[in-house]
Amino acid sequence: MDYISPYIWLSLSLFVIILIGMLLLVIIDKSEKNNKLRNSLNQLKNSFNDLDEQAKLIVKTDLDLNKAQEELDKRLGGLDALQKISRLISTTLDEEEIFTRLQQTLTATLNFEKNLILVYDEEKSLHCRVALGFPEESIPTIVADLEKDSGMITSFNDGYTFSSINSPKPRREYINQLLGVEHFVFTPILSQKGIIGLVFVGNQSNAAGITKGDEELISILASQIGQTLENARLFEQVFRSRQILEAKVRDRTNQLESALKEVQDISKTKSEFISAVSHELRTPLTSIKGYASILMAGKLGDVPEQVRERLGKINTHSDNLVKMINDLLDISRIESGRVEMNLSKCSLAEIIDNVHDLLTPQMKEKNIQWVAEVGRDIPEMMLDSSQTERIFINLIGNAVKFTPQHGTISVKAHLNDGVVTVEVSDTGIGISEENISKLFAEFYRIDNQINQNVKGTGLGLALAKKIVEAHKGRIWITSKLNQGTTFHFTLPVNQSSPGSISDGQKTERP
Amino acid sequence: MTTRIGIGFSQEIDAETAAKDAAFLSKTNLDADAIDIAIIFSTIHYNPNESVPVIQTILNHPKVIGCSTAGIILSDSIESRGIAVLTISSDEMKFGAGYVDHLDTRDIQRAGALLARNTLADFGDHSRQAFLSFVDGHLENNSVLLKGIQEVFGNVFCILGAGSCDDFRFADSFQIFHEHVMTSAATGLLIGGHVIVSVGCHHGWRPLGKPRIIDKAEGNIIRTISGNKAFSLYEEYFGDKADDLHSNKFGQMAILYPLGIFIEGSSEYLLRNIVDIRPDGSIVCQGDVPEGKEVHIMISNKELCKQAAIDAAEEAHKGLSGKTAKLIIIFESMARLKLLGRMALEEVEHIEHIFGASVPIIGIYTNGEICPFQTVEKFKKPYLLNETIVVLAIG
Repeated sequence: MDYISPYIWLSLSLFVIILIGMLLLVIIDKSEKNNKLRNSLNQLKNSFNDLDEQAKLIVKTDLDLNKAQEELDKRLGGLDALQKISRLISTTLDEEEIFTRLQQTLTATLNFEKNLILVYDEEKSLHCRVALGFPEESIPTIVADLEKDSGMITSFNDGYTFSSINSPKPRREYINQLLGVEHFVFTPILSQKGIIGLVFVGNQSNAAGITKGDEELISILASQIGQTLENARLFEQVFRSRQILEAKVRDRTNQLESALKEVQDISKTKSEFISAVSHELRTPLTSIKGYASILMAGKLGDVPEQVRERLGKINTHSDNLVKMINDLLDISRIESGRVEMNLSKCSLAEIIDNVHDLLTPQMKEKNIQWVAEVGRDIPEMMLDSSQTERIFINLIGNAVKFTPQHGTISVKAHLNDGVVTVEVSDTGIGISEENISKLFAEFYRIDNQINQNVKGTGLGLALAKKIVEAHKGRIWITSKLNQGTTFHFTLPVNQSSPGSISDGQKTERP
Repeated sequence: MTTRIGIGFSQEIDAETAAKDAAFLSKTNLDADAIDIAIIFSTIHYNPNESVPVIQTILNHPKVIGCSTAGIILSDSIESRGIAVLTISSDEMKFGAGYVDHLDTRDIQRAGALLARNTLADFGDHSRQAFLSFVDGHLENNSVLLKGIQEVFGNVFCILGAGSCDDFRFADSFQIFHEHVMTSAATGLLIGGHVIVSVGCHHGWRPLGKPRIIDKAEGNIIRTISGNKAFSLYEEYFGDKADDLHSNKFGQMAILYPLGIFIEGSSEYLLRNIVDIRPDGSIVCQGDVPEGKEVHIMISNKELCKQAAIDAAEEAHKGLSGKTAKLIIIFESMARLKLLGRMALEEVEHIEHIFGASVPIIGIYTNGEICPFQTVEKFKKPYLLNETIVVLAIG
């Protein structure tokens, strides 16, 4: 039994060898797998670390993005605030109101702890107009210290903006000491005339530092304030000038009104005086004329021819005097409103014809050609016919007087919009521009040769004007020297009541 | 059974005028004689010692709580300056108010319990729905205060909170209780009665980079992460920009990249703002941090933020079980305002769309939020959160 066949030994040995071989193979395989697993683990670890590195990159990028977004938000917010402030201050032109609005909105919209606006007066002294976040008692010291700092003021004059990000350390420390903030923007308010003030904003907290965007924003705000102040001051200047002008106009108007009142009073007194005097003159004149007629008629005995001739002159001059007194009385009555126009329907053409008939002898004497063109469409008009006749008598009579031999006098009338415009023209010597304006004044007679030779009262045109105006019409003159003159006047076709003549009415020219 | 809501807002430059305008507007919109509670939100541009007495006088001295904020959320605008006054008059809602001050020198947990008890004492025996608190957001660890409140109300009671803050300077904030204006204080408002209170909260931040493990943490201080001093995590990711974290730009930068701690069962990471860095490289967080948990640097973007707001609003809307909301109050991290910038109003528009345009909306930007947070546990438990939007719907 102790004997083991060599075959068996051989088989066993072979089996063991195979087993060991297999084991070796398994071990090798496992080792390879372990190595692979280790490699994978290392790869995973490396990937994890790579991912972590990427995460770190993401954090840093995110930080940058957040900062950029914060700055962007700040700038957008700043622009919003700037727009709001600009809108508020640009809608007023009152300097006080501008600062009141700035006081109310600066802190709320810009979110700076401290805000200061200083403005120069006309003597170049700084005055605080807005102070937010400063104790009231500290302001005079701040202003005084700033005014003393010539270096800083010179820089401001040059348009330089100081900020906690652009200023050298000594300047930052000085501003920190003076205004109590670490982070600030201090910028001049500039106008076209140069520096007019200063704007300061600042924060003490390091968590609220100043950025380049803040610096730009405050500079823009300062420009906006400068522009608004300039506009307000210009407006103030214009407003003051206007007020002065208005006061002057008011004074002058008052003076004119008093003068006018005085003139009206004088005119009234004059009218009353003329009326009284005329009445008083007419009575003895009537007697003179009566006695002259009795003497001329020979009722008191024969009158020698020379005496008769003189009595005839007394009669003629008395007639002239009576006519003048009557004219004066009429003017005075019309002026005082004591004479009312006696309106009735009448034909303008008939009135003109009547006057023509009346003045034909004088016209024939000078061989004057007569032209009358009265529009056929002119209806019967509401006029005081006798007074209207007096207008024509005075105007045509005048024309006859100043028209030379073989001249022409024309009377034209046409209807337009219910108003008849009459033109009485002559080919006479004409009237200078200077005299035209005076021609309707009572007793005014142009100083020329014709007037020196021909007698007149200087009341005819004044009376004609009063009558035209009493008919609610207007009268004016156009003339060219040595070519002729045209008197224009208007008369309304229909009028319920005649106009009253007031002392204030004036002759107008178109 | 009626509930009337009045919201007034003013941006007048002068504190008294702004307070007067906001209070009058709120009272006018409320259209009721009796005011059960007034909530004041104010940016730090207004001196509360001037504004609060004016509001108290105009509203005839009702119960008042409130705090300072980085911005006020209204249904049609986001305002970085102003005073808002919310007034509620209701015969179905019950309110109890309380406060605790000098938190900087007190045992915070005990102060939390005291706050809860003070509020409860004012509330009486009505059914409780939720506890609302405005806490000094600059306190290092408000998780401890929350623990104190939970001692009184229990672990699963709906506790909501907002950390008061300023305009991103991380320097000043205040809390308001009746006529008192305080710093380093907490005010509480217990809401109850026949109303449904529903809450939704989300943040939208996502983990970035490989996970690390919090090796050593005590309360709100993380000593080491994956064998290194805790701050080295930020140094790794921020490079030379990490220096800003040491400067006073710290808060502004840190709130965008909080730490995210994985909590089992939660769809979102629990976020922690870092509020300080110790000389030994330890990180001080705004709330408690669990040891041994996975931690990531977190990141978000505008789209994720807006989606989180939609998710939070839908969650709160769902919780109303078909009842119409009477009022929406939003507590939203100031980090989100910073991230969203000019697009911040879009979040509110989404929320308004979910609840309906007629529902009054008011909210504030906060430094730290407290809200029930879904975890592996059956009931939602309140946590101190960061970077979160909390939508509180009262129906």
